[in-house]
Amino acid sequence: MGKIEIKNLTVEYTEKKNKFKALDDVTFTVEDGEFVSIIGSSGCGKSTLLSILEGINFPSSGSVTIDGKPITGTGTDRGVVFQHYSLFPWMTARNNVAFGIKQAKKELNKRERLALADEYLDKVGLGDFADKYPNRLSGGMQQRVAIARALAMDTDILLMDEPFGAIDAKNRVNLQKLLMRLWEGYGKRKTVVFVTHDLDEAILLSDRIILMSPGPGRVYREIRVPFERPRNIKELIRTNEYNIFHEELLSLFHGENIDEFDDDKDEVVLE
Amino acid sequence: MTLKKRFLRVTNFLFAALLAVQLLPDSISGEVYTEYLVWFAIGLEALVLVVSTLAKKEKSLNLFLDIIGFVYGFLTVWTLLTNKFDILNKALFPPMGKVFWQAVQDSDKIFVNIGSSLGIIAQGYFIALAVAIPLGLFLGWNARVGGAATYISKFFGSIPPIVYIPYGIALLPTFRSVSVFVIFLATFWPVLASTMSGVVNVEKKITDSAKVLNVNKRTMLFSVILPASVPQIFIGCNQGLSVSFILLTSAEMIGAQSGMGYYVKQYSDFGDYTRTIVGLLVIGVVVTLVALLVNKLQSYLLRWKR
Repeated sequence: MGKIEIKNLTVEYTEKKNKFKALDDVTFTVEDGEFVSIIGSSGCGKSTLLSILEGINFPSSGSVTIDGKPITGTGTDRGVVFQHYSLFPWMTARNNVAFGIKQAKKELNKRERLALADEYLDKVGLGDFADKYPNRLSGGMQQRVAIARALAMDTDILLMDEPFGAIDAKNRVNLQKLLMRLWEGYGKRKTVVFVTHDLDEAILLSDRIILMSPGPGRVYREIRVPFERPRNIKELIRTNEYNIFHEELLSLFHGENIDEFDDDKDEVVLE
Repeated sequence: MTLKKRFLRVTNFLFAALLAVQLLPDSISGEVYTEYLVWFAIGLEALVLVVSTLAKKEKSLNLFLDIIGFVYGFLTVWTLLTNKFDILNKALFPPMGKVFWQAVQDSDKIFVNIGSSLGIIAQGYFIALAVAIPLGLFLGWNARVGGAATYISKFFGSIPPIVYIPYGIALLPTFRSVSVFVIFLATFWPVLASTMSGVVNVEKKITDSAKVLNVNKRTMLFSVILPASVPQIFIGCNQGLSVSFILLTSAEMIGAQSGMGYYVKQYSDFGDYTRTIVGLLVIGVVVTLVALLVNKLQSYLLRWKR
């Protein structure tokens, strides 16, 4: 199971005596087994939202529940992939994955953990790099290891905070394909909440996109992505339907922007 | 590497030069023990040949050969300045052959003294590590006490440990226990300070990444915070070790009945500068070897940073 319900979520920070609202009255639901992307310009509170789901940050008001139970802190029902530093630099790739497994599956012994770690490293195509330290791996490889760890923990929910944001364009497409293959291909689909600022990425991967607006962060639109699964990212991106959908979303994206900012700040969002 | 790069090196010529210089007639009277110097040089050259044959990386071979080349050069110049041309003061600067001869004669005594010094250092040093590292982890982890502890350890760390000696002498029964006590203090404060700063400076991204894996406090402290702090902890360990050697040899020169500092002081008091130089060289070799060992350990434990 893994249904996430967010109701009237507001998050406030106090910074130098000034109250600062990161999220204001955010309400939406992520169904069990659904892939939802959260997209918006910087300052829209998308990372704050994810940190609440991770359990390292807490609501000022409103409620966030998983299968009806409020989130009280971190938990092994959720796997997390960050943009940077998901991995511990003093552990080899294998030990990083095994460390995650140890936390999530206490019943396994060391040998079983290592075997499972190897299995998942194979799945992300890094079977030959199990003994390497993260320093010796490229950024894309490090994210593969982080994904392997999150998947090996076999959680119902996967939280991803701009996981491919620092990866060059070519490798990013490969990682997106890998993520789709793993998510669509093996048994019961996990619930995924995927934060990104890349519109293409959001469309290609998600069932639904939540577009957020900044200052303070609010849900601006929810858009269902109409494309069939399993998806072939390479072919999908060339179809007419995709282009039309992309155009519509882009104009929404602009709309969100014009509501909040002057014209000259437009380019910040477009990148 | 080509044979030329392995064996036809300046170092090998310096070896030959060192031997050639020995053929000149001595200009001082008394025993010179040239054969001890020659045997030493031959031993060193044998080592050079073995290393030259086995070395895999050109860079590390170059470094090794440069160091040995310097030793040959030094011995050559020393020989010329002492027994060959008698330029330096005879009493203060004995021929190197005589130094080696003396070292061989005194080898039992030297090993006993090395053992005595290293024993004291090891005891004070390891007790300090065993206390300072866990304490530093705990204090650094508890932000509230940690803030005060940082300033307190800086204050105590700023006091040169040698000034604790009078208290040590008043409180403790033997020279050995005073030395252990002072070395403990010399190591304790820098290691405590560096451990705390290591813990405090662990990147939030690392601890967040551990938090979302739902680790318990124990795992967080020993499997995440501790390894992330090791690079910092080593800074304190290295500082403590070098201060310990300085302190101990000084202390041994003042009040001890054994140890490497005692050996130097005892014979220089009697004007026996051959043995004084033996003592200096032995201290140099021992400290270098210990530093090398610590260095190896450090680069092994921090292999993930490379």
